[in-house]
Amino acid sequence: MRQLFAPGADALFRLALLTAAACLAALPVVGAGLMRSSYVTGVGVAPAQPVPFSHKHHSGELAIDCRYCHTSVETQATAGIPPTHTCMTCHGQIWSGSDMLAPVRASYARDEPLHWTRLNKLPGYVYYNHAVHVQNGIGCSTCHGNVTEMQLTYRANAFEMSFCLDCHRNPEKYVRPKDEILTMTWSPPANQAEIGPELVRQYHIRGGERLTECAICHR
Amino acid sequence: MSGTVTPLPARPGLLAAQADFASIGRAVAGGPDRTRARPWWIAFAGACGLLAVFAAALFWLLLNGVGVWDNNNPVVWALDIVAYDWWIGIACGALLVSTTLRLTGAPWRSAIDRVAETATVLAAAAAALYPIIHLGRPWVFYWTLPYPNTLALWPQFRSPLVWDAVDIVSFLGLASSIWYLGLLPDLAALRDRAFEAALAELRAADAGRGRRRRTTLLRAQAYGILALGWRGAVVHWERWLLATRTLAVLGLILVVSLQTGASVMLAGSVLPGWHDTLLPVTFLIGSLLSGVGVTAALTVLVRRALALEALITERHLAALGRLMLVLGLASAYCYATEIFASLLHGDAFDRAVVVRRLAGAHAWAFWTIVACALLPVQLFWLRAARRSGPAVALVGILVAVGSFADHFMLLIVTLSHDFLPSSAHSYAAGAWGVATLAGSVGLFLALLLIGLRTLPMVSIVETRRLAEAHPQGPAAGEAAPREPETAPAPLWGVTAEFASARDLAAAMRTVGSLGARREAYGPVPMPEAAEILGQPAGHIPLFALAAALAGAAAFMAMCLYAVGIDYVFDIGGRPRLSWQSFVVPSVSFGMLCGALATVLALLVENRLPRLNHPAFNIPDFTRATQDRFFLAFEARDDRFDAERIERALLSLRGPRALMIRRVPR
Repeated sequence: MRQLFAPGADALFRLALLTAAACLAALPVVGAGLMRSSYVTGVGVAPAQPVPFSHKHHSGELAIDCRYCHTSVETQATAGIPPTHTCMTCHGQIWSGSDMLAPVRASYARDEPLHWTRLNKLPGYVYYNHAVHVQNGIGCSTCHGNVTEMQLTYRANAFEMSFCLDCHRNPEKYVRPKDEILTMTWSPPANQAEIGPELVRQYHIRGGERLTECAICHR
Repeated sequence: MSGTVTPLPARPGLLAAQADFASIGRAVAGGPDRTRARPWWIAFAGACGLLAVFAAALFWLLLNGVGVWDNNNPVVWALDIVAYDWWIGIACGALLVSTTLRLTGAPWRSAIDRVAETATVLAAAAAALYPIIHLGRPWVFYWTLPYPNTLALWPQFRSPLVWDAVDIVSFLGLASSIWYLGLLPDLAALRDRAFEAALAELRAADAGRGRRRRTTLLRAQAYGILALGWRGAVVHWERWLLATRTLAVLGLILVVSLQTGASVMLAGSVLPGWHDTLLPVTFLIGSLLSGVGVTAALTVLVRRALALEALITERHLAALGRLMLVLGLASAYCYATEIFASLLHGDAFDRAVVVRRLAGAHAWAFWTIVACALLPVQLFWLRAARRSGPAVALVGILVAVGSFADHFMLLIVTLSHDFLPSSAHSYAAGAWGVATLAGSVGLFLALLLIGLRTLPMVSIVETRRLAEAHPQGPAAGEAAPREPETAPAPLWGVTAEFASARDLAAAMRTVGSLGARREAYGPVPMPEAAEILGQPAGHIPLFALAAALAGAAAFMAMCLYAVGIDYVFDIGGRPRLSWQSFVVPSVSFGMLCGALATVLALLVENRLPRLNHPAFNIPDFTRATQDRFFLAFEARDDRFDAERIERALLSLRGPRALMIRRVPR
């Protein structure tokens, strides 16, 4: 034994150093990517529900108004999940023998609500009010996506703070006229730059500076 | 100066008369073996006990929150910040001593610079825990760093919390760089010593005596990997000197920025007692005093535990004692000035703070400073006290205690009673706060004891440089050169072994290059040989400067962009581009970038790590990190003529080669 290390040791050692450096550099990239992946955010993932309810069929093909089921969206903080009674107004008459709807009938018979798996959840320290947004030019599809295309309902956006802030910083880019609120296919028109500020003024939205104050959402 | 011996001053009592290169290496590298005694185990058990207390305190803290420390409102900064400031003060002070002595070239630094740098790293590690654990939710500590998040948020760069996070990361990075770079040649010495032991074991096993143990070789290889294949070539040494000095400058800037920054941070508040214009200087001197105190205590410990009385002499202790005395007097001046200035022209609240410091509920803190820091150092007016190990160690520890009381007084007395009597609230440290502090001391001690057992606690290189500058006793014997060995081709080169750097340089001058590429290897920097071979280009300081400027500018730009453009946020009407509040973290980050660039430039320019190199084929090359200097003529082309080189080396007059050898590829 002449030397402490064999000639190949250098290649190995340098490879190990480079690997360590690469891992170190990759750590934040992988971490940031993971936190944005649908594995963590749940975007695009339709969880199992007691009944495979289709927004595409009901609100798309049959064109039932959103507010028929989500009754409190214009007046209260939460949009509201319909009680079984709402389902049974129709399904007491049609598809009344369907196996698929058996859980609905059972819920109705036992007078016990269906246990839907919640999709859109905000942390407890975030104050959110549906009525305020819907009454002031923010349409359903801005946050929930085009539900009329969803066979099974999934989360359309990760409700992370940056998502909220995009709009709160520049509300004029997202506000719509009153009659477009429920339009699921709405996208900013070509002249949004002109009508946006005008709408902001009409809705009495006080602009990005006010909307990005901490206490607007964290009360 | 070939052939003649320049008279040099005798050793100024900084090194035992009989110490030479080999004995220095043996004394330091063999130190760890002497720590296997019972006292080490007792001390280690004690430190581990404190660590267990730490674990319990942290568990309780995570379970219940920072309320367990009895922090209250208005005393929101209590033992946690006091302990953080104390630890970082010790770290800054120790680093300041080590860097200043390196830059001024004080010969006596050899004994203390490793101890001071180790104290720096360990104290910074203990300090680094506090910014994390004093958060309400420690598990999201990374929120204080700018990272790509999904909140569209930046850390609040105007907040000292973010300063602390950036400062401590930078300080740890820089201090570890200084510590590791200084350690690099020493690790090579340990590697070669362990390799010699492994080879001896191998020979004994071949001869049928004893058996081969795998661990001996593994130990050598572990040191070898840590030493990154350091082989002590002339240019490597020159770049190493340049890099260590560059790091020292960066460290100096960082320490001054941190300590003055801490005082400015206090002055940025409205509370009374934190606005004296002398405060930045007071902070620096207080930090230096505590750093020197801890360094002195550890130096005495190392001297005693490793029996290094020959290398750490009474002169070293006396120098530390004098330093403590001077700093203690300077500190006393600062306290007196602050009190005097407050009484003379401070407002009523300032004067009230002075009165509360001297006679209030926490007056014990002030009187602890007087009794533990300001008075005991006066002992060092006496020559006998300066030269006594126990006295120096005891006063060093007392000074550190006094420094803790200083940080306590500064924060708690002001916070517990500001302007309104209604908002005054007393504070008493809770048991869990004290347990956390004791635990952090345990962390420091446990790491120190492990270091004591595995690493050279006195810089071998610096001590050898001291021994070389002040030679003693008879010169190495005039050994006749042995005949060159004939080795089978292909040849890597011809090497000659010398007893000293001066012999080697003289031989280089006499022989010339003879058509070969020359390289010299040795256990210390060889300035004469470097002159002959040509100094390496001094790129390293330029790289460091560029990286430091770029890092600081980038950090400042990031802060300005974050608070002034990306997320404008009105806090109490502060200006949009308040650049002043970003200076401290920008400087810290710049120094970290400079340090990393220095280390990287040193390694890249020296083509390290290189674990396997033809130079390691030179017989007895393990002594190149001990007491021998090797001159190598490397075969580069057809002009290489081994016989001619050997003849020239054999016919040397004056200092002669001890051994001439052909080295295979």
